[in-house]
Amino acid sequence: MKSINKLIITITLGIGATVTSCQKLNIAPTNIVTPAIIFNSEAGVKSLLATIYADLPIEDFKYRPDGGDDNNGMQRPGFNPGNPWMNFYNSAAVTGEEVGPFGGMDIGSGFGYWPYADIRNVNTLISELPKHVATLTQATVNSLLGEAHFLRAYYYFGLAKRYGGVPIITVPQDPGAPLSTLQVHRDKEQATWDFIGAELDLGYQMMSEISDAGRANKYVAVALKSRAMLYAACVAKYGSTNFIDGPARGQGLVGIPADQATKYFQAAYDAAKLLDGHYSLYNQNSSDKVKNYTDLFLDASSKENIFIRQYSITLNLNTPAGPHSWDATMSPGRMTSGGLSRSYPTLDFVQLWSNLPITNSDGTPKRFNNLLDLTQGLEPRLRATVYFPGETLRGLTFDTQRGIYPSFSGTAAAEVAKAPNSRTWQLQTDPNVLYPNKTDPNAKQVIGFTGISNNLGDDQLTRTGFYVRKYINYNAAKTNVDLYKSIQPWIDLRYAEILLNRAEAAVELGNTGDALTDINLIRDRAGATPYSSIDLDKVRKERRMELAFENQYYWDLKRWRTADVVLDRAHFKGLMPYYVFNENKYIFLAETELFNREYTFQKQFYYEPIPGGQINQNPNLLPNNPNY
Amino acid sequence: MKKLISKLLLGVAILASSACTKTDNYDGPNASFQGNILSSEGGNLLTSGGSPQIWLQQIGWTTPQTIPCKFDGTFEDTKLFKSNYKAVPTGGAFWPITDTVIVKIDQGSKHDFTVTPYIVIKNFTSTLSGTTLTLKFNITAPIAAGLPNIKDIQPYVNTTKLVGAGASIRDFSDVNAIAINKAYTDLSDADKSITLTIPNLIPGRTFFVRAGVRLSDSFNSSNFSEIVQVDVPK
Repeated sequence: MKSINKLIITITLGIGATVTSCQKLNIAPTNIVTPAIIFNSEAGVKSLLATIYADLPIEDFKYRPDGGDDNNGMQRPGFNPGNPWMNFYNSAAVTGEEVGPFGGMDIGSGFGYWPYADIRNVNTLISELPKHVATLTQATVNSLLGEAHFLRAYYYFGLAKRYGGVPIITVPQDPGAPLSTLQVHRDKEQATWDFIGAELDLGYQMMSEISDAGRANKYVAVALKSRAMLYAACVAKYGSTNFIDGPARGQGLVGIPADQATKYFQAAYDAAKLLDGHYSLYNQNSSDKVKNYTDLFLDASSKENIFIRQYSITLNLNTPAGPHSWDATMSPGRMTSGGLSRSYPTLDFVQLWSNLPITNSDGTPKRFNNLLDLTQGLEPRLRATVYFPGETLRGLTFDTQRGIYPSFSGTAAAEVAKAPNSRTWQLQTDPNVLYPNKTDPNAKQVIGFTGISNNLGDDQLTRTGFYVRKYINYNAAKTNVDLYKSIQPWIDLRYAEILLNRAEAAVELGNTGDALTDINLIRDRAGATPYSSIDLDKVRKERRMELAFENQYYWDLKRWRTADVVLDRAHFKGLMPYYVFNENKYIFLAETELFNREYTFQKQFYYEPIPGGQINQNPNLLPNNPNY
Repeated sequence: MKKLISKLLLGVAILASSACTKTDNYDGPNASFQGNILSSEGGNLLTSGGSPQIWLQQIGWTTPQTIPCKFDGTFEDTKLFKSNYKAVPTGGAFWPITDTVIVKIDQGSKHDFTVTPYIVIKNFTSTLSGTTLTLKFNITAPIAAGLPNIKDIQPYVNTTKLVGAGASIRDFSDVNAIAINKAYTDLSDADKSITLTIPNLIPGRTFFVRAGVRLSDSFNSSNFSEIVQVDVPK
C-alpha cells in the first residue's frame, strides 16, 4: 500500500512537472541575417553593397557577350560565366576590331540578361535605408541612397541598351501579392531612359565627391549619365530612320521619337561637362608616348580612372572579383606560362589610322630589313594598342612570319589574287623547320614562334599578324603569366571616354568648337597630329581608335544604327609578313585573315529578344521586340 | 518454399495490376500544316534557305514558332498540335503582311498564302563561253513606291540544286556581286537590265546557278531567279 502511494505521488509529480514545463521556444533564428543586422551599421550596408557591385553588369575582361557557360551554381552567363579564363570571347571579336573565337555574329540575340533579382537587392536597400537614420546618421543614409540610385541606373542601363523599354520596378515586390500586380507591363523605351537619367541625377546630388576605388561617387554617376544619354539620343535620332516595324515599336516599347534627340544629346553634353577639372587624361610620360599609353591601363594612380573594377588573386576565381586571365589569353604561348590566345586585331582596324606603307607606288611590296621597321612613324597610341610583328614583350620578340618566298617578283595585288597552290611560298606548322634545310649556314625559320602557322585548325597563334597590347601587363614575369593570375583593374569609365561622349554630343548639337578641343586633347595624349577642323566622322573614328577592345564599339555600332551596314557579310584582313630568302628582306601582304570568318548583323539585333522564360512567367512583357 | 514463391508472385501480380494505369489522354503532335507561298505575279515565290518562314502562334500560348519555307516556295510541318493558330508568312523579300490569318490546324491542314514580291526577275538567260558564265535578266517591281532600297545584285553558284543565300560558293557568288544601294525608282531602264559575269568556273564540273536581288528591308532578304544547271565542259 505504501508503495502504491509512493507510486501515485511520483506519477502525479511527474505529470505536474511535465504539464507546467511548457515554455514557448521563441528565439530569433541565428543563421538568418535580418535587416537590422545589415542596416544598423555602415559595415553591414557595405557587405550588401559588395554583392550589388559584384553583380553589376560591367563588361570587363570576363564578360562574355554570348553568355558563355553556366556550369556552376555561383556563376551566371554573361557577366560571371563559367570557365572565366576565356577572356578572348569579347565583343571586339564580332565587330571587326578583332577576329577569332566566334564563328560569326554569335552575340546578336544576347544571352537573356534579366537582372531583376539584383535590382530587388537595390530596391530593398533604397526602401530600408531611411528607416535607419538613427543609427547610420542622415548624411550617411543620403550618400548611400545616392549610391543605390546610381547602382539601380547601372542595372537599368544594362537592360535598356539590350531590350529598349523594360518594366521599371522601384520597390521590392511582395512575393505574396496578387499575380496581376507582379506581372508588370513593359514601360516605353523613352520612359526607361528618362528613369535612368533621373536616377543618375539623384546619384550626382546625393553622393560625395570622392569614393574608395571600385565604388561610385557623384562624378561616376554623371559620367555614366553621359554614356547613357548619348545612347538614348542616338536611338531617337538614328533609330527613327533605320528600324524594323512591329507592335512593340507601335507602342513605343522600342524606339524614341526623333524630336527628342536634341534633348538627350544636350543631357549627355551637360553631364560630361560636370567632370571638367575633376579628372584628367593620363600624361605621366610625355617623352615616351607609347609607354604612357600602355601604362594608362596599368597604373592604379591614374587620374583618368573614374570607375574601375578590381580583382584579387586570393578570391575564388569563379567570383566576379576573382583574378582574370587577360595576359595569358591575349598573348601567344611564347610570352606566357600557360593559357592560349584566340582573338587577334585585324588589319582593317589597324588601318583606321592610315594605310600601312607596305606597298611601293608601282604596286610591288616594299622591302624591309627587319619586321619592326614597319612601325617607324606610326602613332604611339596604335603601337600601344596592338603588338606589331617585331615588337618585344617580356624580353621576347614577336617573330610573326607567315612563310618564306625563295624569291618574289610582281605586285602584291597580283600575288594575293593567285590561287594558293600557284604561289611559290613555303609555309609551315612547326616553327623549328628551317629553309632551305637545317644544314644550310644561311637557313631561316619558315614561320615564327608567334605564328603564323599553316595549321588552320590550331588557333593558338595569330591569324592576322597582330596581337592585342592594350591592358597587357608587360611588367609581369613570364613565369607569373598564367590563367587566373592577372589582377590589373578593368577601367569601366575613364576620362577619355567622357571627352569622346562630350565631343560626339557637341558635334550633334552643332558645337564643333567644343568638340575640336576635346578631340585634340585626346589626340595630343595619343601622340597624334591635332585636327584643325572636326566633323562627326572624325569624332566617331577617334572613339574607335581610343576605346578599341574596351567592349564599346559593339554598342556604338548599335546606337549609330550602322551595324547592319558595316557588318553585312563582312570579311576582314590580316597583315602577313613573309621573308624573301634571296633578297634577305621582309615583305608584308594584306590578305584575308586566316579564319576567313563572315560577320552579318541582322537588323533585328538592334534590340535583343525578351527572354522566352520571362515571357512565360509574365505574358505582359509581350509584344516581343520586332522580328522575334 | 514453393508456396512462399507463389504467394510472392501473386503479391507482385496484384501490385502490378493495381499500379497506376492512367494513360496520357492528350493527343500528340499529330496535326500537320502545309501549303504554298504564292507570288502575286504567278507561280510560287522563289526562295532560298533561311529566308521566308511561316510564323505560327498557337492561340492561348505566348511563344511563337516558325516553319521554314523550302526552296520551291512550299512549306510543311507534320508535328504540330491540333489547335487554332495565328499564321503569317514573314522573313522573305515580299511586302509585309500585317493581317495574320487564323487557321485551324488539324490532320492534313492546307493553306496557301499569297504575297507580293518586292522584285521579280524576268527574261533570265545564261550563256557559257569557255569557263565564263554570263547571266542576263531584267528586274521589275510590282509595287515601286516605298520599295526598300536595292542593296546589291549577285549570282549564286553551288554544286547542288540547293543554291541561294547561305548556300553558295563565295568565290563565284558574293565576289561577283554588283553593288547598287539605290532606290528602285532612281534606276533607269538601262539600270534594270542586268548582266552578271562569273569567270573562271572549273572545267568538267556541274554547277547550279541563279541570280538574286538583295533589298535593305528588315531581313536583308533577296528575290531570286529560277535555278539553271550549267555543265562546264572539260
